[in-house]
Amino acid sequence: MFYREAGIFKTSYAADQALFRIPFDRIFVISVVLFAALVIPVIGNEYWLGSILIPTLIMAIATIGLNILLGYCGQLSLGTGAFMAAGAFMGYKIATAFPWMPIWAVVILGGICAAMIGVAFGLPSLRIKGFYLAVTTLAAQFFLLWLFQKVPWFVNYSISGVPTAPPREMFGYLVTGAEASVEARYLFILAFTVILALIAANLVRGRIGRTWMAIRDMDIAAELIGIKPLPTKLSAFAVSSFYCGVAGVLWAFCYINTVEATAFDIFRSFTVLFMVIIGGLGSILGCFLGAFFIFLLPIFLNSAPGWVGLEVPTELISHVEFMVFGALIVFFLIVEPHGLARLWAITKEKLRLWPFPY
Amino acid sequence: MAAVEGLQEDGHADAAQAPARDAGEIVLKLDNIELGFGGVKAINNVSFEVRKGEIRAIIGPNGAGKSSMLNCINGFYKPQKGSISFNGKTMSAMDPHFAASNGIARTFQNIALFRGMSTLDNLMTGRVLKMRRGFLWQALHWGPAQREEIKHRAFVETIIDFLEIQSIRRTPVGRLPYGLQKRVELGRALAMEPSILLLDEPMAGMNVEEKQDMSRFILDVNEEFGTTIVLIEHDMGVVMDISDRVVVLDYGRKIADGTPDEVRRNQDVIDAYLGVPHED
Ligand SMILES: Nc1ncnc2c1ncn2[C@@H]1O[C@H](COP(=O)(O)OP(=O)(O)O)[C@@H](O)[C@H]1O
Ligand SMILES: [Mg+2]
Repeated sequence: MFYREAGIFKTSYAADQALFRIPFDRIFVISVVLFAALVIPVIGNEYWLGSILIPTLIMAIATIGLNILLGYCGQLSLGTGAFMAAGAFMGYKIATAFPWMPIWAVVILGGICAAMIGVAFGLPSLRIKGFYLAVTTLAAQFFLLWLFQKVPWFVNYSISGVPTAPPREMFGYLVTGAEASVEARYLFILAFTVILALIAANLVRGRIGRTWMAIRDMDIAAELIGIKPLPTKLSAFAVSSFYCGVAGVLWAFCYINTVEATAFDIFRSFTVLFMVIIGGLGSILGCFLGAFFIFLLPIFLNSAPGWVGLEVPTELISHVEFMVFGALIVFFLIVEPHGLARLWAITKEKLRLWPFPY
Repeated sequence: MAAVEGLQEDGHADAAQAPARDAGEIVLKLDNIELGFGGVKAINNVSFEVRKGEIRAIIGPNGAGKSSMLNCINGFYKPQKGSISFNGKTMSAMDPHFAASNGIARTFQNIALFRGMSTLDNLMTGRVLKMRRGFLWQALHWGPAQREEIKHRAFVETIIDFLEIQSIRRTPVGRLPYGLQKRVELGRALAMEPSILLLDEPMAGMNVEEKQDMSRFILDVNEEFGTTIVLIEHDMGVVMDISDRVVVLDYGRKIADGTPDEVRRNQDVIDAYLGVPHED
């Protein structure tokens, strides 16, 4: 009864085009953001903030990036990890070369560098599609990681090859590096997550988003409407890689606190891909659902037997984990490509009718 | 065959001559177009022109090259020979972007909608060339970008009202029945505010009632907006009713061109439709 749209009449196209067309949705999202910003830092402990929320939010940013490319523009990339690495290494170079630069600018510039690299690797997308494009991006994945590992310039000739993230402040608080408090790092990341999610939601509901989806759904018709395929695909590669790059900087600077290529290997790419698939192709909300789901499921599987008093060997649990993920990915790919986001939408439809489902 | 019946039924030589409408200036001219795929000649030395404000039909048996002709007009296919004159420019082949930005819109024989998008978004996509606001404004979705969205939304709503598709505004078009999809596709083309509208079998697979609706929409578009229409259609009754002039293609060649009455009386056309074997 509380969740409904009946009785809410849009009196202008502006209201009808709003991000959340149902007031309840808007209030809900604003509450979640306020809760995340004001309450969680107070009640959250080191483990929950540092080991769960921080990596999940960063991965959600990368997931938005891949979803823009795959879910909205229909271009499959397996190079997400490499684009994250590009952000991390270029962010490191920028932060050390210009120590006076504000850290938020470093993060954004790291993202911009990743965007340029993403565009370069997106060029083949004009000629090749689907599987073959995926193979090209896979080449990007291996080539870029190899480059970052082999060329010592990227790590300022550090002896160990694994430099630590430079500590930087914002508003007088350390937000990067190992010394930064977990709350400060969390809030720094949360701010990026909220702003980037908002921008992504705006982009996909406007002209640019429609050109992406048009290319995804029917590139020939799109071209005959006047949409140029190459600039459109490249803009998706650019925005997507920007998001991945920002996620990469944050991952290196605020989570693992070191700049190393191994953190962005092919498994990182696949994890992001699974988050997109499970969360839902073509949904910004789904990116968060997917990221949280993949982070929380193993934790749930590990502690659930304990709650009911069962002793299960950890080895078995990790096997179960793989099986559950495998099954879920197959399920979502075949049955529900719109993922958890679609299941959520269906629940809302039901809620709209509740408690009188006729 | 329904097509043949239509042809025969109204085929009286003494049928009342419909007064031809004021012939407008030539807006599109195709000269000696030739298009082949490997060994297959899809279009063989075809010339015709389209006048402003008319409904120009292209008819012919399956595989005659009608769709290929539309594909040449909006630049999807590049003819090997011949030239196309449009908007004061003569070119050997049309560029799709030039065609779209100069007011040529089309629908497809096999519906080519953006299936994952809502009806509204499909129509709004028809307006991308008219939207100018840059990336940063769109990222904010505020100020000029929002005003622009609202302006175009208002226009798209007039098309939604015109086509009577208000109730499916938010439905992903992939879930719509075939007849409605055809209508949404017409809507997307209209959203481009075309000066020339190319319709490839807009009524194929429709029942009588849907055909009547579609015919009415086409006539209304032509009359109310003054849009020039090039129409491929198999239903002879419809073609003879609504078109001003008809081109007949057969095996890639033009075998007749004229008013519906002239075409109906043409012996080559009757032969083509009755399946008289070809000499070659
Ligand atoms: N893309 C293509 N590749 C190869 N052959 C084609 C292609 N498009 C059309 N053709 C051929 O050109 C001929 C005319 O096709 P088409 O223009 O679709 O005919 P119609 O629309 O009159 O039924 C057919 O023989 C068809 O097989
Ligand atoms: Mg055809």
